[in-house]
Amino acid sequence: MRNWLNAVSLFLFTLLLAPSAQAAADAATCLGCHGSMEGAVKVDQERFSKSVHGGMNDCTMCHLALKGAQHQGLSDARPDKTVADLAAAIAAKSGSNAVAQAACVNCHSDTYQTYKASVHGQNVIVKKSADGPVCTDCHGSPHYIQSKSSKESSVNHFTVVETCGKCHEEKFMSEKYGFSTHVMERYKESFHGRKLRVGHPGAPSCASCHGSHDVKSAKDPSSPVSAANKITTCAKCHSGATEKFVAAITHKPMHPIAHWTELALIVLTMSVFAFICIHVLLDIFADIRERLFRKGDKHE
Amino acid sequence: MNNRTIPTEIERFDLSARVQHVIMFTTFLLLSFTGWGLKYAYQDPSSAWISFWGGAKMAGLIHRVAGITMLLDFIYHQFYLINQYRKGGMRPTLIPMPKDVVDAFHNFMFFFGLRKERPYFGKFNYMQKFDYWAVYWGMFIIGASGFFLAFPVTVSTLFPMWSIQWIWDVVIAMHSDEALLAIVFILIFHFYNEHLRSEVFPMNWMWLTGKMSIDQLKHHHPAEYDHLFGDKSGKKQ
Repeated sequence: MRNWLNAVSLFLFTLLLAPSAQAAADAATCLGCHGSMEGAVKVDQERFSKSVHGGMNDCTMCHLALKGAQHQGLSDARPDKTVADLAAAIAAKSGSNAVAQAACVNCHSDTYQTYKASVHGQNVIVKKSADGPVCTDCHGSPHYIQSKSSKESSVNHFTVVETCGKCHEEKFMSEKYGFSTHVMERYKESFHGRKLRVGHPGAPSCASCHGSHDVKSAKDPSSPVSAANKITTCAKCHSGATEKFVAAITHKPMHPIAHWTELALIVLTMSVFAFICIHVLLDIFADIRERLFRKGDKHE
Repeated sequence: MNNRTIPTEIERFDLSARVQHVIMFTTFLLLSFTGWGLKYAYQDPSSAWISFWGGAKMAGLIHRVAGITMLLDFIYHQFYLINQYRKGGMRPTLIPMPKDVVDAFHNFMFFFGLRKERPYFGKFNYMQKFDYWAVYWGMFIIGASGFFLAFPVTVSTLFPMWSIQWIWDVVIAMHSDEALLAIVFILIFHFYNEHLRSEVFPMNWMWLTGKMSIDQLKHHHPAEYDHLFGDKSGKKQ
C-alpha cells in the first residue's frame, strides 16, 4: 500500500516538472539548452526571470526565423516588414543577431518612431553607420533589462552618464561628429556631474537636457539644447535663466584664462602648504631642542 | 602703570569674540565636511560620506545655511571691531607691521639655533596675525565665490558677456581650491599652534575662558606684557 502511494506521488511530481510537449518554443524549452551553454548563446535563467522581460514566455517573439537544424520546427514566424527593414539597416552593426535586435520595435513601436527621428536613429538607420547605438547598446541585453527605476539599470538617472560616455568619451567620435572634445570630462567635473555622482536626485544627467530616444544634434533647431531652446531647457531648473546665464554651459574644454587662474591658485595653495609645514616642523624641532638642552629655564 | 599690581591672568578675548569664534569654527567644519564630499565626488568614500550627512540635498542645504551663517558672523565681526574702536579699547595689535617680517626672520633664526630667544612678540605674533587675516582672505575669495555659485542666475547678469566662457570656471576654482587651502591651513597651522603644541595640548583653553596666564603672556608675548605692566621707559624685560 505504502509503496503504491509513493509511486503515485512520484509520478505526479514528475509530471509537474516535465516540460509540456505541446509548447515547443516556450522559455523553459529554450533555457533547457541555453541556460547551461557557454558564451554569447548563454542566457542566465535567474537574471532573465528578474528582468522586465522575465514574464515573457515565448522566446520566438524576438528570436524570429531561427536557423539551424537544432531549432527545426521551433519557430516558423517570419519578421514583418518593419523588423526586416530595420534588421537590414543594422545588419552591418549587428551581424547575425540583426533580426532579434530589430524585433524590439514589435512591442516598442512608439519609442522606435521617436528613436528613428533622433540623431542616433538617423545615423544608424539612414546612414547605416556602425557608430550609432541600437536599443541594446544603451539598454544592454533584452534578457536582463531592468526597469528604469532600478539601481541596476544602465539607463537610470545616475547610470546613464556612463552609458552615454561609452561612445561620447571616445576622441574619434568627437572628431568624426564634431561634438565638443572632453564633453564627458567637462560634465563630470561640473557641479551638475558631481552632484549627480553623490546622488542628488535633482542634478541633471545627460538625458535631462539632451533627451534620450529623441536626442538631436545641438545644431538641429529642434534640439532642447539648440540656440533657440537652450534657455527654456535650462529654465526647467534655473527659473529666470537668461542668454548670458545659459552661455556658460557648453562642455567645451576649459578656457585658457580659467586654466591659468586655477593653476595659479593651486601654486598658491601648495606654497602656503609648504611654508606652514616647514614652519610647524621647525617649530617642533626647536621645541624639542629647548626641552633637551635648556632644562633649567623658567618656563615650561 | 608700574605701580599697579600684576594680576595672575588677563582677558584676551571677551565673550562676544569667543562666541564669534565658536560660530566661525562650527560653520567652518560643517562647510568643510559637506563641501569635501562634492570636491572629491569621484573618490569612492564620497557618496557614503554624503549619505552620512543626509544625502546630497541635505548636505547642500547644510552647506548653504552654514555658509550664510559664517558670512553673517563675519559681518558681525566688522561691527564688533567698529564698536571696540569707538569704545576706545582697541589698539592696532592685529595690523601687520614691518616688525612682523623681522620677527618671522628672527623666529627662523631661533629655529636654526642662531638666536637664543624667540622674538620680542607683541600681543599677537606674526603667526596669529597670519591666522587672523587668512580668514579675511577666505571670506572674500571663498565667501564671494560661494555666494555667486548659490545664486548663479542672478549673478550671471553681473558678469560681462566676454567673460562668460571662463568666469564660472574661475569662480569654481576659487571656491574649491581656496577652500582646500583654508582646510589645509587650519588642519596644520592652527591645529598645531592651538592644539598639538606640547604646552597647549589637547587645546588652548582660551577659546572657552578667553584668559591667558601672566606667565604665558610674559613668555609668549613679552612686548605686550611690557606694554601692560612694564616700566614706562618700555625697555625689554
